[in-house]
Amino acid sequence: MALRPYWKGYLKLSLVTCPVNMTPATSESEKVRFHTLNKETGNRVVSQYIDSVTGKPVKDENEAKGYARGENDYVILSEDDLDNVALDTVKTIDIEKFAAADSIEWVYLEKPHYLMPDDAVGNEAFAVIRDAMKADKVVGISKLVIGRREKAVVLEPRDDGIVLWSLRFGDEVRPEESYFEDIEDEADSDLIPLVQKLIKQKTKRWSPDMVSDPIQESLLKLISEKKKALKPKKSTKSKKADEVEPKSNVVNIMDALRKSVSAELKNRKAG
Amino acid sequence: MAGQRAQWKGFIKFGEVSAGVALYTAASTSDRITFNTINKATGNRVNRVFIDSETEELVDKEMQTKGFEVENGQYIVIDPDEVAATIPESNKTLEIEAFIPCSDVDDVYFDKPYYLTPDRTGSDAFAALRDGMRKSKVAAIARTVLFRRMRTVLIRPHGKGLIATTLNYDYEVRSSKKAFEEMPKIKIEGEMLDLAKHIISTKKGDFDPATFDDRYEAALEELVKAKIEGKSVPKRKKIEVSKPNDLLAALRESAGMMMASDDKPKRTAANANAGNGRQRAARGAASKSAASKAAPHRKSA
Repeated sequence: MALRPYWKGYLKLSLVTCPVNMTPATSESEKVRFHTLNKETGNRVVSQYIDSVTGKPVKDENEAKGYARGENDYVILSEDDLDNVALDTVKTIDIEKFAAADSIEWVYLEKPHYLMPDDAVGNEAFAVIRDAMKADKVVGISKLVIGRREKAVVLEPRDDGIVLWSLRFGDEVRPEESYFEDIEDEADSDLIPLVQKLIKQKTKRWSPDMVSDPIQESLLKLISEKKKALKPKKSTKSKKADEVEPKSNVVNIMDALRKSVSAELKNRKAG
Repeated sequence: MAGQRAQWKGFIKFGEVSAGVALYTAASTSDRITFNTINKATGNRVNRVFIDSETEELVDKEMQTKGFEVENGQYIVIDPDEVAATIPESNKTLEIEAFIPCSDVDDVYFDKPYYLTPDRTGSDAFAALRDGMRKSKVAAIARTVLFRRMRTVLIRPHGKGLIATTLNYDYEVRSSKKAFEEMPKIKIEGEMLDLAKHIISTKKGDFDPATFDDRYEAALEELVKAKIEGKSVPKRKKIEVSKPNDLLAALRESAGMMMASDDKPKRTAANANAGNGRQRAARGAASKSAASKAAPHRKSA
């Protein structure tokens, strides 16, 4: 499934430029998420902006970003203004340097994105940059404005595309020396072969099964059990009930849920 | 440990060996520019309140609860205690479940890095694990309850210590294979590849992320200043996409330009406006010295 790209722009190597798009490699969309509800009515709770002086609700179209130039004095910036910031790195990933593929410390890797051509016109140019990096075993170094910061980025050819990593800033990575200085330089040489033997026994190939989330599984189970408890209520009390009397409906659901939860908790403890 | 506070203290266990260890945050997120939300109609700041989506009345904090949407508009109420009950009791142990070859590590799963250090009693076992892993070229996969979630961490030797990186869950990561599966299969060979490799060879160098500077704030200040003064912001250079028919010519021209300026790759990558400076420098060098052309860097890798 193709995701909607979150950034579109250009990839550039010297005089070669091609249109590209980028999507994050990670997403929270599959994570079990809770909404905030009003206990009294069972309705969703939503946030609303109120004018700090007049106290009146603010219409969506009147919400704007303000850059503080003094106390209670703001310069309003539109998305177009922000888009016009005079940095080429807002729209262009110009590869300025190449470094050995394994030379970037892992602690600097912040967030991975997938980069690919955005238009057939750029397919070949993109492939040239990718394949040359692959052939030379290098990664590209560039910079890009992401989330209102200009970040160093690393481009790494992978499969038919490019993985683009945003990097952490120097002041975001704590110096390791103060943590590691007291640790022994060398291990007891008799112990190392034993450890290596153990390593050999316990070596496996990487698999995404290693990063399953048992708590999410439990939450999903909890939800589905509660959902089951909901179903009969729904058939006896029609939709009307929850329109006319939202309060009582919530109370009923709560009762039903309490029962199923206490059963669930007992099970859990017993298990 | 120079006053830093451990995020977590417990044990690391491999086989029957266990050592006391602590985790320290290795990376934090520094502040970025934030804006205030303003009511355009009045120029005033806004406050955020929480209201009932149907009745539009204010909802106090104590009347707010958590729910999960099962069908359109239908919610199941979930009590915080019930959520807490899903979290297994922590045994405070990073138990190594497997070692994986370093070449197998899929870094797109990386979340946050932590420095992993031994306490006084654990230092022998710690050093043995570290050196054994380094020699065998493996990383370790361990799990434990961290910050109220069951987290998988990838542990690897780093200097005298170990770094434990929390990994994102399987459902949070889209594989590169999937992401790129619909891309056209193009393989570049011959002159185009040689030219691109040559361009790369002239731009090769070391990169230290610690020296990188963010120019965004300064650029934004300039933008605001221009807006206040009613001036227009300098326009960015127009971007010209290389046409497929011109690609080879663009590569040749780039490579030619590079060769001419080949005497020393410029060390300005992390500096502002490197692009302009470099192009000017390249032109200048081109007129002077085709003779100082460095030996071809082409490798048969």
